[in-house]
Amino acid sequence: MSVINYANRVIDFKIVYYGPGMAGKTANLQYIHRSLPNSNRGNLISLATGDDRTIYFDFLPVSALTVRGFQTRFQLYTVPGQVQYDATRRLVLRGADGLVFVADSQFDRLRENVESLRNLEANLREYESTLDEIPYVLQYNKRDLPNLAPVTYLEFVLNRRASRVPFFEASAIKGKGVFDTLNTVSRMALASEFGGKRERRDEAS
Amino acid sequence: MKLRNTVIQQQDATRIREILARFLGESGADAALLIDRGGQLLAMDGVSQALDAVSISALAAAAFSSTAAMAQLLGEPEFSVLFHEGTKHSIHVSTVDDEAILLAIFDERTTVGMVRLFASEASRAVGGVLGETRARPKPPGEFAAPLSETESRPAWTPPS
Repeated sequence: MSVINYANRVIDFKIVYYGPGMAGKTANLQYIHRSLPNSNRGNLISLATGDDRTIYFDFLPVSALTVRGFQTRFQLYTVPGQVQYDATRRLVLRGADGLVFVADSQFDRLRENVESLRNLEANLREYESTLDEIPYVLQYNKRDLPNLAPVTYLEFVLNRRASRVPFFEASAIKGKGVFDTLNTVSRMALASEFGGKRERRDEAS
Repeated sequence: MKLRNTVIQQQDATRIREILARFLGESGADAALLIDRGGQLLAMDGVSQALDAVSISALAAAAFSSTAAMAQLLGEPEFSVLFHEGTKHSIHVSTVDDEAILLAIFDERTTVGMVRLFASEASRAVGGVLGETRARPKPPGEFAAPLSETESRPAWTPPS
């Protein structure tokens, strides 16, 4: 959960990128790391297998705006998407202040997306939390590939809670949609600290 | 377990810093980091500028969580200490409470026994401060009003 430190006037947030394996979670962090100047980000740490599949998590700390005298910082994490790493996903999810669900837009990955979203909800319950309590956004990634499900269909399948959340079309490997996603989820996490209510899709767009 | 936000007031930070400084003096360790189990750095003392304390915190919290999960598979509530021995530097991580851990970095000028002994004392003391901190409601002050439009502007600009 967020840490507000009056001694050094810093607020730290934890943002977790969740989603099925190979959906592009790591690609998001890699693009952010490549794009930000050293002064705005720390080292990107990837705990991956030999074939670059995330085995534990990726981690990238980034600094953002100063708000009312507090420097805001965001620790970005990814979870391992593969089904068998559920225990690890649960550990990484601990204390998340914001969530990005990275979905793979290809038709043949719809089932994995749905299962991963259900898995996210189940793991949040372990921390007595729900998607209604944590700021989160959806990212429909890989929009540059063929065999895509239409966004309206992805919305119907994945963004169907009572309050719909912001969504972004993305091609993380090329950087498209990456910063729109990050800026929105970080703003929502920040707003939740400042007496603001959680933003919904209509407010965020 | 429902997790809570942590608000560290100036006086909390001063007390924690004093406890960590005393721990370093008594144990002979070089640096101490107080870390939230979610990976956030709460306080530190003795840490050189060269050390990437933020990354160490994230990795240590993850490693400690992993060992806790392993302990549960063996029917243990938790392994309360994690120790990594290097050729020059070693790391000792121990439980503070359900939400925090204490990490110490030390070298050959002291022993893991000394670090362990005084880490236990320091953990109790710092756990008491954190307990008070968490029980206190967030002071409204700067946080009372919602963000303005300017404060809600995008934090980062994508490369063109």
